[in-house]
Amino acid sequence: MTDPHSRRHTQQAFDPDRRRLLFGATVLPLAAGAGLALAPRRASAALKTSARIVIAGSGLGGIATANRLSRELDGAKITIVDRKEMHNYQPGYTLVATGIWPVEKVVDRNADLHPSGIEWVREMVAEFDPDGNAVVTDSGRRIEYDFLVVATGLHLDYAQIEGMDVDAIGSNGLASVYPSHLAAQATWQAMDAFRAKGGEALMTLPATPLKCAGAPLKMTFMLVDRLREAGTRSASRVEFHSALGNVFSVERINQDVLERWEALDVPVTFNSKLVAIDIGARRASFTSPEGERTELGYDFIHVVPPMRAPDVVKNSPLPWQEGGFAAGGWLEVDKETLRHRRYPNVFGLGDINGTPRGKTAATVKKSAPIVTRNLVDVIAGKEPAERFDGYTSCPLLLREGSALLVEFDYEGRLTPSLPMIDPLQDSYFAWLMKYRLLKPAYIAVAKGRV
Amino acid sequence: MYDIWLALNILFELFLGYLPLVAAIVVAWLVLMAIAFGRGRPGWRRGLGPALMLALLVAIAAFLAIPSLTKSSLSEMGYWVDWANLIAIALGFGGVALALAWPLFATLRRRFR
Repeated sequence: MTDPHSRRHTQQAFDPDRRRLLFGATVLPLAAGAGLALAPRRASAALKTSARIVIAGSGLGGIATANRLSRELDGAKITIVDRKEMHNYQPGYTLVATGIWPVEKVVDRNADLHPSGIEWVREMVAEFDPDGNAVVTDSGRRIEYDFLVVATGLHLDYAQIEGMDVDAIGSNGLASVYPSHLAAQATWQAMDAFRAKGGEALMTLPATPLKCAGAPLKMTFMLVDRLREAGTRSASRVEFHSALGNVFSVERINQDVLERWEALDVPVTFNSKLVAIDIGARRASFTSPEGERTELGYDFIHVVPPMRAPDVVKNSPLPWQEGGFAAGGWLEVDKETLRHRRYPNVFGLGDINGTPRGKTAATVKKSAPIVTRNLVDVIAGKEPAERFDGYTSCPLLLREGSALLVEFDYEGRLTPSLPMIDPLQDSYFAWLMKYRLLKPAYIAVAKGRV
Repeated sequence: MYDIWLALNILFELFLGYLPLVAAIVVAWLVLMAIAFGRGRPGWRRGLGPALMLALLVAIAAFLAIPSLTKSSLSEMGYWVDWANLIAIALGFGGVALALAWPLFATLRRRFR
C-alpha cells in the first residue's frame, strides 16, 4: 500500500522543471517586490511643472527634500547649493564622543545620498535675496528660483565664549561634541584621559535653542558611567552648569533627569552661563543673570556653545523681525506649515527654523515630508494642506547599554510612536535603537523614503 | 502603518549594510536547496526535528549573546518591551538557522529510490 505523502513526494521528485518553476515563481517575485517597494521611484501622480527650486543646504533636511521633490515633481529644476562633499551622521556624534562608535560610522558621502537629475552647486549661499527670488553664492553666482527651501542648519557660536578654541578640543581636558566628527573623536580622547585619573568635571548648557538638546545630558550621563567603569567615580566630581532654570525644556523629562542626577551625585547649578575659558590654565568663568562672575578650575570640561542662525540667514530679510526667535536670527516660518510667514514661496526645514523645540534628525524625519507636500501644493496653486505638530525625539543615553526613548511635540507633550513604549523607563530597546537602528532610519529619511 | 514602513526601511538599510553576509547566506541556502532537490527524495519530515533543534540552540545563543554584542547586557532589560524585542531578534536568528539547517538535514536524511 502506498502512503499518499510518499506518492506526492515521488511525483514531485520526478518533475524537476515544475519544481524549479514553482520555486522561482515563489521566491523571485518576493525578492523583486521587496526591492522595488523600497527602491526610489517617481510618484505615479507626479506633478508636471517647470518650477525652479533651490534648496540651500545639503544636510539631512536638504537632501531628504531633494529626494522627495525629485519624485513628486516632473520637469522641475531642482538645485542644491552646498559645498560639503562629506555627509556626517550627527546623531552619532555622542556615540563617538563617548567611545561607543568608531568615528568612521558617522562619515558618509553626500554624493551617495543625492537624487539623480538634480543640479548640485558646490558653493555656499552667501546672500539670500527673497525679494528678487534669488540666492547669491560665495563665488558671486546669482541663482534665481521660483521656490526656495532653506535648510542651512545653524551656527555654533563658540565666539561668544571668550578664549574658546575649537581646534584645542581634545587637549587640556577640553571637550565639545558638536562641531564635527573629528571634534567628537577628540572629545572621547579627552574623556578617556580624564577617566583614567578622575578629578573635577564641568558640564555646560547655554541659554539658546540647541540642536540635539539631549546631547549635553547624554554626555553627562556617559561621563559618569565611564568614570564608574574606570573605578575613578569616587575620586571625581561632575558638576552641571545650566544657563537656564532647567536642563531640558520638557518638564517631565527635566524632572526625571534631575532626579537621576541627584542619585548619581551630579549637582546642578542653574542660571550659570559659561562666558570664558582659559584652556591652558583649565579655568572656566560663569556668570549669573545678575552679572555675578564665578571662576572655576577643572580637569575636564564639556563646552556646549550658544547656537544661532548662520550669518547668511541672520543678515537677510528672512529671520523673525521680533519675538523670541529674532535675536538668534532664526527663520520666520509658520510652525505648522513650515512656510515662510512673509515670503510664501519660501519654506524652512530643520535646525534653521524659528519654531519651538525640535532641532534633531527626528524633527527632519517628520517634517521633510510635510515641507515637500506643502511645497508641491503651493506649486500646484493650492494652500499647504499638511500640518507639523513639532514632533521630535531623543534617545537619551543613560549609560552604556541603556537609554530612554523620549518623543515629544511643540507643546512638550510626550508622544511615543508606539503606545507600549514608556519614555521614562531605562531601556535596552531604546539603547539598541540608538546603537544600531537609527542610522539606517536616518539614511532612509535622507533617501526620501520615510 | 507608518511605523511598519519605517521598520521595513530600517531592515532594508541594514540589509544593504550587511549585503555580503546576506548574499552569502542566500547563496548557501540556494545551494542547500539545490542539493536537497538534486538527487533522491529529501527527507523533509525527518529533517525537520533536528533542524528545529539546531534553530532553537541558535535562538538561545542569540538571546544570550545579542545584548553583549550590542554593548549592553541582560541586566539592562528594563521592561517587557526590551524582552519582546530581544526574543523577536533571537527568533529571527533562529529562523535563519532553520532555513539553512532544514534542507541540510533533509539532504542528510534523504531516501534514494
